[in-house]
Amino acid sequence: MKKFVSLLLAMALVLSLCAFAQAEEITLRVLAGQSTTDAGIEDMIDEALAKKYPEIKLEWECVDWGNDFQPKMQVYMQSGLPDIMIGKAQDVSTYGSLGLLADLTAQPYMDNILDAAKEGVTLDGKVLGMTFNCLYQGVYYSREIFNELGLSVPKTHEELAAVIETLKANGITPFASHMVDTWSIGNVTMQFAVNDVFNKNAVWGDDFRAGKVSFETSPEYKTAYEYNKLIYDNTWTDETFSLEQTACDAKMVMGEAAMKVSGSWSIQNFLGIDESYDFGIFPFPNQTGDAKLLFEPNITFMASAKSEYQDAINKVFEVIATDKDLQVAIYDHTMTAPMVKDVAPTFANPSQTDIDAYAAAGMIQDVNLGNNQLVWGGFQEENAKDIAEYLQGKLTIEEVLKASDARRDNSK
Amino acid sequence: MRKMSPSLRKQQMQYLSLVLPGMIIFTFGLIVPMFLSFYYSLTSWDGMTVEKPFIGLGNYVKLFSDPYARNAWWFTIRFTLWNTIIQNVAAIFMAVALDSGIKGQKLMRTIFFVPCLISAVVVGFVWLKLYGNVLPALFKLMGLQGSLAMLLGKEETVLQGLLIANNWQWIGYWMLIYLAALQSIPSDLYEAAKVDGANAVRQFINITIPMLAPALTICIVGITTGSLKVYDLLVASTNGGPGRASTSIIYYTYSTAINGRQYGYGSALTISVVFALLLVAFLQVKVLKKREVQM
Repeated sequence: MKKFVSLLLAMALVLSLCAFAQAEEITLRVLAGQSTTDAGIEDMIDEALAKKYPEIKLEWECVDWGNDFQPKMQVYMQSGLPDIMIGKAQDVSTYGSLGLLADLTAQPYMDNILDAAKEGVTLDGKVLGMTFNCLYQGVYYSREIFNELGLSVPKTHEELAAVIETLKANGITPFASHMVDTWSIGNVTMQFAVNDVFNKNAVWGDDFRAGKVSFETSPEYKTAYEYNKLIYDNTWTDETFSLEQTACDAKMVMGEAAMKVSGSWSIQNFLGIDESYDFGIFPFPNQTGDAKLLFEPNITFMASAKSEYQDAINKVFEVIATDKDLQVAIYDHTMTAPMVKDVAPTFANPSQTDIDAYAAAGMIQDVNLGNNQLVWGGFQEENAKDIAEYLQGKLTIEEVLKASDARRDNSK
Repeated sequence: MRKMSPSLRKQQMQYLSLVLPGMIIFTFGLIVPMFLSFYYSLTSWDGMTVEKPFIGLGNYVKLFSDPYARNAWWFTIRFTLWNTIIQNVAAIFMAVALDSGIKGQKLMRTIFFVPCLISAVVVGFVWLKLYGNVLPALFKLMGLQGSLAMLLGKEETVLQGLLIANNWQWIGYWMLIYLAALQSIPSDLYEAAKVDGANAVRQFINITIPMLAPALTICIVGITTGSLKVYDLLVASTNGGPGRASTSIIYYTYSTAINGRQYGYGSALTISVVFALLLVAFLQVKVLKKREVQM
């Protein structure tokens, strides 16, 4: 009996020691600024993390990137940043320059990230963010309509004008658009600017702040703004300021429009409405006929420089950068392209052949060339509102350009 | 000095203990932020950096020359005026109709009241869909041009579109206040008027309206201050557009301070809004209370 009791006591002692030795549970706070495509990836990350590091838990706060990420960051900059922040690559220049982000340069998992994804998140030689995927931006077009009408992808504005005329003659709206979303005007304007302004002067935004160039005196930027009028005149003009994105994409899939200046975020809608919808992508033609397809490094993981859980954060990032199943699941869910090496999404993207062709020809450009120099909040967003007023006939193009110049101090 | 009796002191301590929590919350939740906001309004702080450069009254000077602030005030004033007129008139007539003993009064009261239980964000989204998809389809079925229904998409009609959505949501709420006031009017007043030969219109003008004066004060102040602060309806429906055609002063303040990273200037806008709200509420209460006494 004594032996049995002693054995029980010994076992209890060993078990309690084991329990004590078990790693202490760590909860990391995550602020996730999400695009419309991203909702749901938090559950996938939780699941993958639980398999490898069950002691680490993530406490998610998911917000809309466009409207709420920056306000949340402003609040947390006063009260204490979350351990992990998920935004877009362009956020790195905003918050990294304030010394808020941890340096990820030497982390082994960063070897899994494509070099192209590191350029836009590197500040003073330090990589401050881990970019996970990218969105392609350009003109999405219906292959079925283009094939039926014998249209080919336009490279110049003359060719684009011919395509528009043919489409109109056949009763098809040339461009789908949803200008009730100011962000869509801002987005397409930056697409135009990258291929017509930044391709000639890669530091146009910095020069603008230095007073060397201005919107009012830039014929290229004027042209970029005026392209919006070209879209507006060739879209469902009466409806565009009442139509939100999903309804717009649905109309395009139903064959009411043939083209849409957009980004990969439309793919979820296209294929969600009709999984057999066949579409391609080409860059919106520029004045010189050498426009490049644009990509935007999107989901970007950033770590707070002041977090006391740097090891745990790195474990989370390691899972995201190395777990192939997780990566494929996220790429398939968001229907976006990888920025991680040696991973291929399994979803069928009809526009992938076009993307591959532009990539092979070196005709691809990072849109953050412009976004990093001219910030969205307070600058691009306000310019987009002016452009909307120009389209509705309330402002002239000169007034819009002048208003952009007046915002010089808010451009970075 | 007279010494306070122990029972009186105990009573005062009890009162203090009841008032203190509210006072603390009010002070730290409202008064302190107000003073902080005033301090920020004297700086060019962007809301992110540690430095808050002091610029004196620079933001207030800018406020008077800012065309976007002027436009935002103009939209807000029109929105408020129309809301105040439409909601009061409609709510009074609906309350009178329901008070007249018509059939299905309880059911109608519930139906009219339900929209105000819905969040303004949901209301905004629902009306965006209605104007953008549902009504145009109905118009087309009736052989009309679908775009006629797209009130939120045009600068000339966006105010009307938002007024319809806002009034749809709130008329039922104010109607209930008027209904309660109507039901408290003594019936012998009407009987006496009938004996004197007053018809329904004269009864309405000479009895109903004067007796509704206290409710009128509550409703006018409530509708005005609520309309001056409109924000969530706009976020969910128009995003302040097309362009800036439906940008209210609160929407402009928020987008300037937070998205535009001009916290100092945004704080100056906030202070101006607070003063405007206080002034409007003060004037209304003073004028309407005076009318109540006269009536």
